[in-house]
Amino acid sequence: MSGCGLIILYTCRQKAAVEQRMEKPDLNIGFIGAGNMAFGITKGILCSGEVQPRKVMVSAPSSNNLGRFQELGVAVTHSNTEVVTASRLVFLAVKPHLIPRVLAEIAPSVTREHVIISVAAGVTIATLEELLPPESVVLRLMPNLPCMVQEGALLFSLGSRAGPQEGAVLKALLAPCGLVEEGPEVWIDTHTGLSGSGVAFVYLFAEALAEGAVKMGMPTAVAQRIAAQTILGAGRLLRDSGRHPAQLRSDVCTPGGTTIYGLHALELGGLRAAAMGAVEAATERAREMGRK
Amino acid sequence: MSGCGLIILYTCRQKAAVEQRMEKPDLNIGFIGAGNMAFGITKGILCSGEGPCLEILWSTLFPPWFQELGVAVTHSNTEVVTASRLVFLAVKPHLIPRVLAEIAPSVTREHVIISVAAGVTIATLEEQLLPPESVVLRLMPNLPCMVQEGALLFSLGSRAGPQEGAVLKALLAPCGLVEEGPEVWIDTHTGLSGSGVAFVYLFAEALAEGAVKMGMPTAVAQRIAAQTILGAGRLLRDSGRHPAQLRSDVCTPGGTTIYGLHALELGGLRAAAMGAVEAATERWFMEVQPQISAINYRSVFGKYELKYYILQSYLVMGGC
Repeated sequence: MSGCGLIILYTCRQKAAVEQRMEKPDLNIGFIGAGNMAFGITKGILCSGEVQPRKVMVSAPSSNNLGRFQELGVAVTHSNTEVVTASRLVFLAVKPHLIPRVLAEIAPSVTREHVIISVAAGVTIATLEELLPPESVVLRLMPNLPCMVQEGALLFSLGSRAGPQEGAVLKALLAPCGLVEEGPEVWIDTHTGLSGSGVAFVYLFAEALAEGAVKMGMPTAVAQRIAAQTILGAGRLLRDSGRHPAQLRSDVCTPGGTTIYGLHALELGGLRAAAMGAVEAATERAREMGRK
Repeated sequence: MSGCGLIILYTCRQKAAVEQRMEKPDLNIGFIGAGNMAFGITKGILCSGEGPCLEILWSTLFPPWFQELGVAVTHSNTEVVTASRLVFLAVKPHLIPRVLAEIAPSVTREHVIISVAAGVTIATLEEQLLPPESVVLRLMPNLPCMVQEGALLFSLGSRAGPQEGAVLKALLAPCGLVEEGPEVWIDTHTGLSGSGVAFVYLFAEALAEGAVKMGMPTAVAQRIAAQTILGAGRLLRDSGRHPAQLRSDVCTPGGTTIYGLHALELGGLRAAAMGAVEAATERWFMEVQPQISAINYRSVFGKYELKYYILQSYLVMGGC
């Protein structure tokens, strides 16, 4: 990309470029792909009020999904390249099998100024860096479905040319979406198993708790509402306490009371092993899919 | 309380009294007992901000955080009753007889008594502890009331009507989910949403440990597990749809989720969860409730000092 003559100048400018990339107060943000994840993240980013809708642009091949973005005041387009040229931060939120095609299309427009954040499940940083120009700054982000209501669990990893500054900016930007953690790329498959598929595990747990209540005489609809609210409330207490779940559990066990009887039934039923096995199975499937 | 001569007047005035009780814009609310539940409910009631002008009065010996809510506090249970229309009884079950013995002379037909005392039945309240014609409701909250995400179930006593139910439902709405149902549901509610909180804690711990097995450090895994449960619970509650439908919606064919769900089925998670609600409910119904009901309330007129049982009533309500 840059000719030999500019190499010396580049090394001096690189540091300045990094600083400039991150310090510029008006960060233009783009999304390639307009699905639920892109929408949830967009909503979260705009939530804080620090990013203006006009600073955000979304591209999608059809107009089907763009309406809800327009309602937020976000710019829309059918051109992926336009998103890249108009933005500094670019989220790749397309399905994994579309990544090679999209990257081939936008690569000529990607510069060192860009920060590319891939949300595509199973597409490794190595793959992304291979398909993008050298020196591209890449991050990989794994959100989960509750991002759509700003209660997501998001994990991101830095690519080889991304530094702590990019990480900090991303973490601050995504904070309204829920919990944002940074970690090595090897954690992403585990995160998929725990918090991606974990959402469905919670749904199953809720259904079963409600059915226990139905067996004990409560109508299904009421039982499901109460089960859902109980899980939400308990999750809230757990998250906000920051304490070990076993400690919280002990705190609410009245000696000889109903709770310890119920917990014994869970232990007899091997709930712990089932839950651990579920995260393991989902994670291993994620690893398997990533190898293909 | 009311002499024979007033009986005829009462039946004519009863309807008017019910209307007046509920229509009066300034609803004074009192709490006897000041544990976590009372705190959570008060915070929720005050949260809503709008609506009728509320004055909330608590009886407690030690008002630490209550004053930050701006509520009045007193040491006198009787003062709470005379100053309020709605009175929440939020003391531990074994204290109910002493407290009610003290306040019964001050309870009128204008009052609405809402008992939050676990296991004390409506029949006990109406027949043994309160004056005849008292308007009683029974309310079962759960721990997340403290953060306004509770699951609350209430039942109407024999002299409470839909109007009282509607007022209570509206008043408690900021505390979380408020459902009305027959008293027989309260036992089940105890097992599902009372003890259910601990079941969720166990599930969270186990999910996190699965992630630890797959290479994630414990602290991170626990944070993510907690957030995942909160987020999924939020989607589930707000969708209002059947959990199985939501589950199907997120199962990509051949994807990670269906592999994980199969492991849950193989592990018999459903049976374990159902069994937990059953065991907790039956423990309540077979053991705990009868112990509470077996207290011969009429005979328990304690010689304890006022100070003693207000002190007792301050004790934090843990699980059930």
